[in-house]
Amino acid sequence: MQLFVQQVVLGLLIGGVYVAVAIGFSLVWGILNIVNLAHGALVIVGAYLTWLLFARARVDPFIALPIVAVVLFAFGYALQRALINRVIRAPLFFTLLLTFGVNLVIVNALLVIFKSDFRSVTPSYSGSGFGVAGVQVPYIRLAALGVAGLVAAAVGWLLNRTRTGAAIQAVGADRDAARLVGIDLRHVYALTFAVAAACAGVAGGLISTIQAITPTAGEPYTLQAFVVVVLGGLGRVGATVVGGLVFGLVETLGQTMVPGLGAGWANAIAFAILVLVLIVRPQGLMGRIA
Amino acid sequence: MMGGSTRFTGVVGLAAVLALACGGAAGGGTAATTTGEDLVIGAPMSLTGSQSKEGALAKQGYDMWLQWINQQGGINVKSVKHKVQLKYEDDTSKPDISAQLAQKLITEEKAQFLLGPYGSATTASDAVVAEKNSIPMVEGNGAAQAIFNQGYKYVFGVLSPANVYLTGVLDMAATLKPKPATVAMLAADDNFSQEVAKAVLDYAPSKGFQVVYSDKYPNGSTNLSGLVANAKARNADIVLNSGHLQEAIAIHKAAKDLKLDAKLSAYSVGPSTPDFIVALGKDANYVLDGSQWTPQVKSTASFYLASQDYVAAYKKQFNTQDDPDYHVAESTAACLALQKAIENAGSLKPDKVRDALAALNVSTFFGQIRFDSRGINTFKPMVVEQIQDGKHHTVWPANVADAAPQYPTPSWSGR
Amino acid sequence: MSASLPPPSSETIVVEELRVLDRRRLRRLLLLAFALAAVLVLLAPLTATDQADSLGVPQLVDRSQIRILTTVAMFVVMASAWNLVGGLTGYSSFGNVAFFGLGAYTCAVAVDAHRLHLPMAVAIALAPLVPAAFAALVGLPLLRLRGHYFAIATLGTAVAVGEVVKNIDYLGGATGLFPPILHRADLLFLYLMVGAALLAVLVSRLILRSRFGYGLIAIRENEEAAGVIGVNTTAYKVGAFAVAAALTGLAGGVFALWNSFINQELGFSLDFNIQMILMAVLGGAGTLFGPVLGAVALELLIQNLAGRSDVAVYAQIGLGLLLAVTVIFLPRGIVAFFGGGSRLSLTHLRRSLRETSV
Repeated sequence: MQLFVQQVVLGLLIGGVYVAVAIGFSLVWGILNIVNLAHGALVIVGAYLTWLLFARARVDPFIALPIVAVVLFAFGYALQRALINRVIRAPLFFTLLLTFGVNLVIVNALLVIFKSDFRSVTPSYSGSGFGVAGVQVPYIRLAALGVAGLVAAAVGWLLNRTRTGAAIQAVGADRDAARLVGIDLRHVYALTFAVAAACAGVAGGLISTIQAITPTAGEPYTLQAFVVVVLGGLGRVGATVVGGLVFGLVETLGQTMVPGLGAGWANAIAFAILVLVLIVRPQGLMGRIA
Repeated sequence: MMGGSTRFTGVVGLAAVLALACGGAAGGGTAATTTGEDLVIGAPMSLTGSQSKEGALAKQGYDMWLQWINQQGGINVKSVKHKVQLKYEDDTSKPDISAQLAQKLITEEKAQFLLGPYGSATTASDAVVAEKNSIPMVEGNGAAQAIFNQGYKYVFGVLSPANVYLTGVLDMAATLKPKPATVAMLAADDNFSQEVAKAVLDYAPSKGFQVVYSDKYPNGSTNLSGLVANAKARNADIVLNSGHLQEAIAIHKAAKDLKLDAKLSAYSVGPSTPDFIVALGKDANYVLDGSQWTPQVKSTASFYLASQDYVAAYKKQFNTQDDPDYHVAESTAACLALQKAIENAGSLKPDKVRDALAALNVSTFFGQIRFDSRGINTFKPMVVEQIQDGKHHTVWPANVADAAPQYPTPSWSGR
Repeated sequence: MSASLPPPSSETIVVEELRVLDRRRLRRLLLLAFALAAVLVLLAPLTATDQADSLGVPQLVDRSQIRILTTVAMFVVMASAWNLVGGLTGYSSFGNVAFFGLGAYTCAVAVDAHRLHLPMAVAIALAPLVPAAFAALVGLPLLRLRGHYFAIATLGTAVAVGEVVKNIDYLGGATGLFPPILHRADLLFLYLMVGAALLAVLVSRLILRSRFGYGLIAIRENEEAAGVIGVNTTAYKVGAFAVAAALTGLAGGVFALWNSFINQELGFSLDFNIQMILMAVLGGAGTLFGPVLGAVALELLIQNLAGRSDVAVYAQIGLGLLLAVTVIFLPRGIVAFFGGGSRLSLTHLRRSLRETSV
């Protein structure tokens, strides 16, 4: 029983990280209708920035997060405005290829700068946590969950309680109508992508404290973001939160608690779930029909 | 009839030989050698890509031998010395590219022999090319036995095969008091790691251990806490992992997070590299690993450098304070095997060298190099090292150890 | 939105017609030139045989180049096959490598002495069948998805199949399978692969000129309308998917036998996956020779850059930039330049950009 609770706790904690990763991805997909294959790369850029600040300037990773968010925001804005905006109206498939190309460029640029050495951010309090009835809760992971929640809340607040958010949602709902009422599409698109990139950067910062990073470590996160968004449903922030937590739980419990099924099947299970959900309930657990 | 005259001839003969030998040695030993054409050896290697770190270590191993052999004037083939040109091609850690480059090295760059790439999948691909071209390939970085079960004639591996990577740890554990009882085995799902794990699972019961948990995870996973939690719940005394550096670090961090107080932790790959200690700091202490070679291993070098000299030469050539890790050593050993086989064969013809390789039996700083009928070196034992106070020490087998194993590992809260 | 132009004068019409004729002739000449070059390139390896030696014919290609040619032919098959689903039908599959892997493993299991132990010819014949059956099976549910969902679902399927294969011991597990080595068979495999490539182009041509092909194009342009005018969209889509799977599987099967080693990393290589898509798009998706051109050009480029560690990372960056440029400026691919589809002019580029930008 204690093992089960431990696994549930672990699943929720890692689910928080998945939520942080997926929020930006969901935003870009929902509003811009772009599946950003470079999302994982943006996450890793955030991770490297956090590491740089930690290793060179001794900035605590959690304090570095706002800085990372700002830098990624600017980068995302520029990327969308200069490049991705040019293919928005092209067949969907071209945006996939373009973001894939961007991914290649970013990852390999990171390889040139940082080489493929593994880096990790290990502040003095890593490894410590508290225990409740034998169930361990590491501090860093708990903090990551907290930050993820904050990010989700912030994005939700932005979308629902600000004028900018209203503009973003309008553009997502009907691009041409939004333009007719005077919304600057190029700017709003770039803004949306910028917010998503900032979220990705923050997620990367969290990840750098939990695992070792290398330029290619972002690839799995793009796919995981996709699974989370599909699971939860495209559209509302709440859906992504649910998707992330559920995915974290399923992954952890599925890996370790199902007899006969080892962790070796983890990826196969993840994708089987993905394909099944897409076929059976494409709107996800909570979303509306995308 | 044996008499004085025969003995006299014998003494004169002996004196003559001795004189020649002294004269030869005084003259630098090259009294009768000439220089022949350069010998081209090809090496497809993971200079970039997912295996670039290990590939860089393997290249260091090759380069160490290259510098030394050319300082000697080259490989001696029947008194003709051939300087060596070692041509590298970067296979970016991809097996299909590695095979293409191996062919290119043979056909276009005129490589007469091949040195192996890094990793089991790339080695398997290149082995096929070597076999098809009837060119001997000597490798030191692909330990999966499957390669050697295919009946290839031209492929030789100087390293101990995968199945003995962690069995030494179990041997050592069996001698400790109080004897640990339970084992957990976490393995990545690539073929090398799986061979290591399978050997452990088969061997553990024979040493009186009970395997309480065994699982495999996708190669490159970073979220391994769930498995570690399982190992903890089943009270594993010995936690073993066969996988890669990143996973070893992730598992060890998770063990600290979850307060898994194993009495022994051993990871097949990772702890031998400096990166492991850099990443984990003090937490890396007490961790064991199975190693192909350590600087402390007592071996007899019948040619080339002895272990201590090798370490010193390495530090000088690469301007570093770190000891060479076993990836470097096993790569140099591959070169040594090829060199000795060529010298023994007295020829550069691929078939003759191949036969010489099959018959090779030589002791080097790396240990004994001899190939079984399949082409892999089952004659050299693995050693076990442990990180103690931030430094590596060899702790098993006892006759080569330079320190006693620190056992049991203190609990996390007790450190 | 479009201003009305004055009706063309008779002179303009004649000039236009002459231009069209010239373009057609040019296109035919170019096609002839390419065909001639291709035939020469394909016959050249014969100079490497023993018979050629005994006749005193100098060897024009070496083993390394024969290997490259075989790889190029392999990608011609895969790019052309992908084109059927992605280019003609408009369903961009990001998981076709699953069929490559299934074909490869089918062949490897078939020839393995401890498994099916069938002769090579039978194994090659089986190689297209298993992937085609798989495509028909998963195609039914998958092809109900559109756009992004279809792309990622196919990617997920490819990854999942690779992972499942890795976990099954009969299929070699994590180690993989080792089909026996065939000595002195370089040319055999080259011509097998070239044969597969010719088959792929032939099949594509047949489809393009058939009712089936027109139905697929109709589905791409407007699936609902296609259904309304009587095209059985499900049957057509699944059919195209299965044909693509069969061709890709054939390439995989020959690859496994040629390479004498297959594992999950090779059979379900994400590199191969993206390369076949790139080649088809770069060359010209939806056309007959686009994928061929793209495969030849890109693979030769990749092979030329291979091996140089200083270049490796920059080559990848270059590939990413090439992708971006292709997608933004060259959406119809290279082949559009041959045959008067479009011209490399600034106005043309500006116009196509305006169409796709926000």
